[in-house]
Amino acid sequence: MSAGARPLSGLRVIDLAGLPGAYGAMLLAGLGADVIKVEPPAGDDLRHLAPFSRDGGARESLWFAAFGQGKRSVVIDCAVAAGRDQLRRLLASADAVIESHPPGALDAMDLGYAATSLANPALLWAAVTPFGQSGPRRDWKGSNLIAWASSGVLYQTGFPDRPPVTPGGPVQLACHVASLNAAAGLLLALRARRVSGRGQLIDVSMQECCLAINPESGVPLSLDDGIHRRRSGNRRNATRPFGLYPAADGHVSLLIVQPAHWRLLAAWIHETTGDEAILEPAFEDLAFRFQAADIVDAATEALTVKFRKLHLFHEAQRRGIPLTPVNTVADIAADPHLAAAGFFETSEHPVLGTYMRPGPAFRTPPGWWSLGPAPLLGQHTGEVLASL
Amino acid sequence: MPGPMPLEGVRVFELGIAIAAPNACKYFANFGAEVLRIESLNNPDVARLFASSWARARPELGPVMLDTSPYVSEMGAGKLSVGLDLKHPGGLAAARRLLRDCDVLITNYSSPAVKTLGLDYESVAAIRPDIVYVALPGFGSNPATPYYEFLAWGPNQAPLVGLDSLTGYADQEPAGIAAIAPPDYCSSLHAVIAVLTALEQRDRTGDGAYIDISQFEATIALLSPYLLDNVLNGHVQPRTGNRTSGAAPEGVYPCRGDDRWLAISCTTDDEWAALGEVAGRPAWAVDARFADAAGRATNADELDGHIGAWTAQYGADELAAWLQAAGVPAHAASDNYGVLADPQVRDRGYFKVRPSARFGRDLFSGNPLHLSDTPGSPRRAGPQFGQDTRHILRSVCGYSDGEIDALVAGGAAFEPPLPAVTLTRPYDAMLPVLIPGLSGDGTANE
Repeated sequence: MSAGARPLSGLRVIDLAGLPGAYGAMLLAGLGADVIKVEPPAGDDLRHLAPFSRDGGARESLWFAAFGQGKRSVVIDCAVAAGRDQLRRLLASADAVIESHPPGALDAMDLGYAATSLANPALLWAAVTPFGQSGPRRDWKGSNLIAWASSGVLYQTGFPDRPPVTPGGPVQLACHVASLNAAAGLLLALRARRVSGRGQLIDVSMQECCLAINPESGVPLSLDDGIHRRRSGNRRNATRPFGLYPAADGHVSLLIVQPAHWRLLAAWIHETTGDEAILEPAFEDLAFRFQAADIVDAATEALTVKFRKLHLFHEAQRRGIPLTPVNTVADIAADPHLAAAGFFETSEHPVLGTYMRPGPAFRTPPGWWSLGPAPLLGQHTGEVLASL
Repeated sequence: MPGPMPLEGVRVFELGIAIAAPNACKYFANFGAEVLRIESLNNPDVARLFASSWARARPELGPVMLDTSPYVSEMGAGKLSVGLDLKHPGGLAAARRLLRDCDVLITNYSSPAVKTLGLDYESVAAIRPDIVYVALPGFGSNPATPYYEFLAWGPNQAPLVGLDSLTGYADQEPAGIAAIAPPDYCSSLHAVIAVLTALEQRDRTGDGAYIDISQFEATIALLSPYLLDNVLNGHVQPRTGNRTSGAAPEGVYPCRGDDRWLAISCTTDDEWAALGEVAGRPAWAVDARFADAAGRATNADELDGHIGAWTAQYGADELAAWLQAAGVPAHAASDNYGVLADPQVRDRGYFKVRPSARFGRDLFSGNPLHLSDTPGSPRRAGPQFGQDTRHILRSVCGYSDGEIDALVAGGAAFEPPLPAVTLTRPYDAMLPVLIPGLSGDGTANE
């Protein structure tokens, strides 16, 4: 299949975003869009974020190496009038923009949606901000941590004897969820444009993106059951075993709700530890297992501590029990299923050399997905500006 | 005047369980697609089985209980419920007839289950060649891979993809993510992007598409920087609590009151200086060791102690407002009541109230995408179990009422039990206070 047949080929996207837009813009590039990352002379913020590559001449941020993939890099200095003019012309040539500046910041340079859409009314513009483009707190500053704090999820995550803690920690998951929403919003607006001929503004609030992944512990549920949800550590106070249990080399996650799953687990515990009492039929009731949490947890731990987590995972699943390992990144890199599925693939980068990277997040028809390495700073400045 | 909805005229066949497929279809329903949620009476979705706690105490409700779960609206607002038993030949025939007129099929049934039903991609493409078919199984749809038949339950997937090992403090076992199941939502957002891309491609080429999303793979991509750090540097990223590499100080600090906390992220020296000003320039705020980001990161534990001793004297909300007024990213760690009272959430009307056949009106989480020209919002709350069976079988399949009666009598299809019972959620009377801007009849906000 020729490159021209990729689904988003011909779509020019200007990436003016930080981390809250980076991954989503990368997905669009993988699906064929021409994504142009505009960077200041000192380089995008992501280029300065640890971890970095340690070998080789130059130090490369692995954030940029990961989420800059497939994009072209153009250096434009918006601190000077000539740079702002370059960006204005670039925006006039674009189908779409993804950005994460504070509300009004680009408008102050006459480079915001209002000014740009006058010259280019078909432009699609996704703006990711901590709290959205409207409302009394639209100018409040944010971060990954602030997004979780404002959504009620932070409060419910962690052990009761320590401060609440960010889900996914340094992964900065809220930024990625926001960028996924921004990419989805751009594609919806693209479809609307097909009929209306008009572009539009897509307003994405990181607070709302976190609220939208929280129905399981969120406001409608809490109003209905009247439960004040607090953090309960790494086991859920619904039944047992439900949560993380120690293995010989880390932890595993167990989620036993159905009676059939409990019977299989109880048989395994009995077989391994000789525990007869755990076979009592009363334990089949999930409410009873929660009342007897200490007994159930102790019996479960007596099994799980005996084995390594990968063995527990494979053996439990062979027996039909829903158990997974608490994987580190090293475990994921070594996982046999991902290897068999060909998930990791090699790529070439001028500084990193040949390296293994995670493959595409979805398996699409042949010819759709292709993702080059992250560009060097300003690698495409000449060719892009010359084309305007 | 708003433009036509982006997905007007698109019909979606949802074969969903719990979150991953249903959440993706929420986006489609919000933006004008007709989403047919195929539901089985013999094997109801777990989202319906988690009935409301108050309803579980009322066994006389019988099957009406299956309409009471808050998830019915959380995952089903704006959708149509079509009751078909796909294991019954008549139900399967109706589904196959429906699929002739569907643009998209999305499922998170396990791969073996979809095959057994005869609704795998090849079978569906034989009925509707240009179908956009998205499968969201836990471990992908390739029978030759080791975990093909493994069980994937939402809360078990975050540990698997590496998120739980990075949640918590380095000196403690992993705290895990007990409140939410991020991989379900990350997979569903990838599915939304895949479907919209495939519709774009179909409009250009006339071709449908088969897209396979392994929930294992979809979320791993988000951890790429740390995977590369492992593959290239041999380093295993430890837990860092609330700290990220782009900010210092960054943390969650105690405030006045019971279990009250304030989140602060200082990403620049200016923000650090502003924090010191708000604190009244105490000794720690002007300590040279904390003057730059590297020094603040190196001495983070000591610095956190100083900040925490200061924040503990104040209320979280008042301190957040002072810090934000000075330009410092800060926010109280809201509980759910705090979220409901949050002036930003209220002003933007995030939570939605819409008409509901079972409750008169119902409350649910809104849409995080605000499109200025085509604002997306569902017209009604989650459907009653089987609420739209007759209408859809008549209008799409062209079945007569007699044929539908026969399907229902034979157990191939079902409709809501009669007589209709109207229930009331325990907080219903408070809704006008909780949710600003309810319409005159009280059944909808903006």
